[in-house]
Amino acid sequence: MSLTLEIVTPEARVYSDTIDTVVIPTVDGEIGILPGHIPLLTQVADGELRVTKDGKDQFLVIGAGFAQVEGDKVSILAERAITEDKIDEKAVEEALKRADTQLKDSAHLDPAEQETLHSLVRFAGVQLELKRRKR
Amino acid sequence: MASTRDIRRRIKSVKNTRQITKAMELVAASKMKKAQQAALAGRAYAQLMSDMLASLAPRVSELQHPFLVQREIKTRGILLVTTDKGLCGPLNANLFKIVTEIKTPVKFFAVGRKGAQFLSRTHRDLVADFVVQDRVPFSEVKVAVELMVQKYLDGEIDTVEVIYPRYKNTLVQEPTLRPVLPLASLASFIEQAHTESGTAVKRDDRDMLFEPGAAQVLEALLPFYVNRLVYQLVLSARASEHSARMVAMKTAKDNATKLVGELSLEYNKARQAAITQEILEIAASSFAA
Repeated sequence: MSLTLEIVTPEARVYSDTIDTVVIPTVDGEIGILPGHIPLLTQVADGELRVTKDGKDQFLVIGAGFAQVEGDKVSILAERAITEDKIDEKAVEEALKRADTQLKDSAHLDPAEQETLHSLVRFAGVQLELKRRKR
Repeated sequence: MASTRDIRRRIKSVKNTRQITKAMELVAASKMKKAQQAALAGRAYAQLMSDMLASLAPRVSELQHPFLVQREIKTRGILLVTTDKGLCGPLNANLFKIVTEIKTPVKFFAVGRKGAQFLSRTHRDLVADFVVQDRVPFSEVKVAVELMVQKYLDGEIDTVEVIYPRYKNTLVQEPTLRPVLPLASLASFIEQAHTESGTAVKRDDRDMLFEPGAAQVLEALLPFYVNRLVYQLVLSARASEHSARMVAMKTAKDNATKLVGELSLEYNKARQAAITQEILEIAASSFAA
């Protein structure tokens, strides 16, 4: 028994493969999915997603969105997602700085846009954390 | 037979037209590439989201969320997505054909100037029209969607539907009427799309678990879904627009080239005839002398 995992963002299909297990960060904490899981719909939070395939762990950083488990298919819709090997620390740091400065004078923006900025900051933070832990 | 000068003048004007259409073709081609990329990149996302919702719809029928409840349809709400500018072949006319076929009471919303003009010209009930820039910022589409959703919740309209040119490829754009709300009609639409493309979805009949709770998840997912879906449809319409315009301009350019060829032939014939005439006259006069 194996699962198929599909991670799609508005820009691209980031991940699509058959896997053994996946741990999804949700608003209520992490949820581990094994084959045969009961159908599930949950809200994904910005965080780290761990995929196990053939006994090896892979990491992805994922932005807010939704995840659905149905049958042996795990579908994740996320605003942003990036696989570990694609993370460019320098670019992330710069993005983080940009988002921070934008946040500082964001009082005039509407709440939805502010939330997007906050989410960007969290997304960048998780990427850096993952990269640094790995070193 | 037209004089050589007249023909020369016409050739010149046709050449000018060709130059213009060629430039427009190139502009449309470069815009098309960007618009197509945007539309295709978002397609997987929208598809997956629709699938998610479709499998969700039958499970949550007992939840009284206004987006899910099927109520009696008195007035339909339709968003008509057209282009701002013309010169894009039959793209808009095809959409208007769908509009004219609708006989039930409808309140219209429009994205794109051509659609707004058509609706007011034909005295249909146009509630609001929106301008969306060429690179399609999400926030501008959101404004339109939010207004429609508000009217839907207020009960002024009983459905939310979108008429738009669906982008298939550069040569084919399908005018499409896509139901968005209520979601009950979505499930059957998705099923139909899947049977057409021959991809059956496997259903899992066990009860679905919601984290943190059914109400919270739906509260977040449904408005998000509606915004995203309509955004994707507008992206698709933009890709269609630029493709259609490029094709129309290419045809115009080709026609101009053909016309120049024909006119040149006619011009050369007229010139030849004039020369022959002159020689005859000279010869005749020298014989006479």
